[in-house]
Amino acid sequence: MRFAILICAILTLACGSDNPVTPVPGSKDLAVVGAGQVSERYTGEIWVQGNVAYTTTWGFRSAPGNAVKIWDVSGNVPTLIDSLIVPSASTLGDIQASDDGQLLIVATEFSPGSIMIYSLANPVKPQLISRYTTALTDPGVHTAEVQRVNGKLYAFLCIDPGSGSAARLVIVDLTDPAAPTQVFTAAMGSPYVHDVYVRDGILITALWNQGITIWDIGGVGSGTVANPIVLGNVITIAGHAHNVWWFHNALNGEKRYAFVGEEGPGAIGVSAGGDIHVVDVSNFASPREVAFFHVDGAGTHNFSVDESRGILYAAYYNGGVRAIDITGNLSSCADADKAQDGRCDLAKMGRELAHGPNGVGPVYIWGVQLLASRVYASDMLNGIWKLAPVPFPPD
Amino acid sequence: MRLQSAPYTELDCGVGGSPRSVVAVHLLFPLTLLALLLPAIATAQVGRHVSDILDVGAQAIGVVTRESPAIQGRALTEGYLTQPAIMAELDPWSELLSLKWTLNLEGATLKRGELNAGIAGEGYIDRRHPHTYLHELVLTSAKRFGSDAVSGASITLGKGFAPFGTDDPMARPFEKYPINHHLAQILERAVAIGALRTGGLIFEGAAFNGDEPTGPGDTPNRNRYWDSWSGRITYVPWPQGEFQTSYARVKSPENPTGGGADQRKQSASIRLEDVQHSGYALFEWAHTGDYVGSTRTFAFTSLLAETWARYDQLSGALRIERTERPDEQRLVDAFRTPIPATDLSIAGRSRWTIVTARAAVSLVNSRSFTMEPFVEVARADVSPTLRPSGFDPRQFYGSDRIWSVSVGARLAFGMSHMRMGRYGVAATRKPNAKVGGMKMEDM
Repeated sequence: MRFAILICAILTLACGSDNPVTPVPGSKDLAVVGAGQVSERYTGEIWVQGNVAYTTTWGFRSAPGNAVKIWDVSGNVPTLIDSLIVPSASTLGDIQASDDGQLLIVATEFSPGSIMIYSLANPVKPQLISRYTTALTDPGVHTAEVQRVNGKLYAFLCIDPGSGSAARLVIVDLTDPAAPTQVFTAAMGSPYVHDVYVRDGILITALWNQGITIWDIGGVGSGTVANPIVLGNVITIAGHAHNVWWFHNALNGEKRYAFVGEEGPGAIGVSAGGDIHVVDVSNFASPREVAFFHVDGAGTHNFSVDESRGILYAAYYNGGVRAIDITGNLSSCADADKAQDGRCDLAKMGRELAHGPNGVGPVYIWGVQLLASRVYASDMLNGIWKLAPVPFPPD
Repeated sequence: MRLQSAPYTELDCGVGGSPRSVVAVHLLFPLTLLALLLPAIATAQVGRHVSDILDVGAQAIGVVTRESPAIQGRALTEGYLTQPAIMAELDPWSELLSLKWTLNLEGATLKRGELNAGIAGEGYIDRRHPHTYLHELVLTSAKRFGSDAVSGASITLGKGFAPFGTDDPMARPFEKYPINHHLAQILERAVAIGALRTGGLIFEGAAFNGDEPTGPGDTPNRNRYWDSWSGRITYVPWPQGEFQTSYARVKSPENPTGGGADQRKQSASIRLEDVQHSGYALFEWAHTGDYVGSTRTFAFTSLLAETWARYDQLSGALRIERTERPDEQRLVDAFRTPIPATDLSIAGRSRWTIVTARAAVSLVNSRSFTMEPFVEVARADVSPTLRPSGFDPRQFYGSDRIWSVSVGARLAFGMSHMRMGRYGVAATRKPNAKVGGMKMEDM
């Protein structure tokens, strides 16, 4: 009997995946509306505008990650319209359109690091306006956050560290997209600055093992885009601060919480690690972590928030997309729902509303975006998913 | 053997590259000349036989390698001047204070790396990276005690090998490196090593910098000095037999500024060699775990067996290796990976089973000059260990089987090649023995 148990245990260890995802009890299904397949490249980030979605590509599958895929998402099933090929790039990690929908910005890595600036006068045929690259954007632009501050459009570029250079933030004025100009740069992050969040004149930088830092760039004091002033910092539990979303609750006007994605170690297609950390930023000078969300066997990546309903959609790599209720007081919970360090565990509180796609085989979800009552997700393994959000049913 | 058609053929002799390469190659000739002349100079100055206190030598291998498929279904044929090195050992006071120096010129001749299917490290993948120019420069002070002439203690300081794992592949029979190089050796670090030998037992411990070199001209980062450590225990039951086990903790080796994944490394090996230095065998197990804090994230294991035998002027060797490697994001040059990586993740983990056979003939073999033409044939089978994987070998290479044929000749001048990776009393030889183990020219 003991021998049989031993054999079973060995077989379980030998045959099980490295990091199996445990289903969350009570979590409903984010139903699949449609999918668009990409098989020759690994898919990266996603941006959706109107009836057009843009997905980037990563690394090297049977082709390099130098393509932007353009999708018609007007129907249930995303249809590939065209592809842009970016020369001298092996990964296009980030993509975003400007708030007026006129420009499309694509970050490129290795090497040179750069941003490609396209005109979206015809959204299905982006036209290259310029490529911005300098010595300070090498070896790669990991992410490019495009936001307007005091009426001016800027790109906030997170630059990868090189063998002899530290990670840094470069802020570029896009007022003239044909001739972007650098307005600020500083080395930051330990060892990475992976992403930033910009809103209401506040810049929040995700600095990996240094947690997040909150900067004034014109929102609350004398700081400017050209001269950001530090307001506060918090090192989130376990570090690896990767991305941020500062939640403006449309239900009550509260701006209390920032959600920080922790990007832990992972193997594409198989495993990922890292929690969502909830930071109370009601006092910029002393932000503090009050809660977290954890999925066994999976790790989080990028976010999209339905602020009108208080639902955080989090890309969770091999854990799919997770929809989490972020309404109410996240810093207060029953003792049974607390971790040993006193933080509230949103999963134990039953705040996961839904997850998906389900029953479609392995996924590895990089990015997610909520738009017009649909959730769009980019999947490194498969391409693009169109999902019904909570609680909308599929068409 | 199946070799695919070769639409892509090029030769890289390493002299037509950047101005830096040209300058470095121009330095090679006078340095080699200097190496050849130094023994005579030393003899004249000291008045003793030079080999008692100074041993100087140089070597290089000219080789043409054809690999099929090398990448994306394409075969590549390339030529290199590989492993060009100048070595010196100065021991004027019978081990009280000795110096060991190895200048490696691969940074000049091998800038794009050498085709070596499956190998990965220091920003190269499927090509072996060039080593740093200053491969070794260590000062060692040893004190022997006891009547057996081998027991003793030593300290070593400088840049070189940490006491971990097995001999450097450059000092072993094959031209092509085993792909477990970064699992089985820790080299080119600022090291402080203490060693104690009592009879057949050798104990070594060391502190060193964790960061790997990021290029041929790179030096250990000062702010990383002594952040890592290793220890090795070796049992030498008879002069030609050696059993070792070792352990290392290496901080953030692949992120030079720190903050990357740490490594915990283990190694065990048996090395055998006959008394006439005409036969040799090595059995090796190596394991590296990547850690974030105290949590293990990934693990990579290697098993290797190699043997070599010489009969008169002919020699043959066989190596069988089974090694897991991390598959990482690639650059526009698909043989390169970013340093440092952009995060803690890997694209996949592949398992490589490689069988390599070698035949060589020693045409000239004298104290001052050795010339040994050789041919090596290798077959590599590769499969992903994680599914689904961010790296599918069949999709990437166009096949899950890769053949490689290398033809070349090793040229060596001056000193016999020593074993690489041990210093002071940990070098398994008796004092004043001129060759520790095999002579390179015998391989």
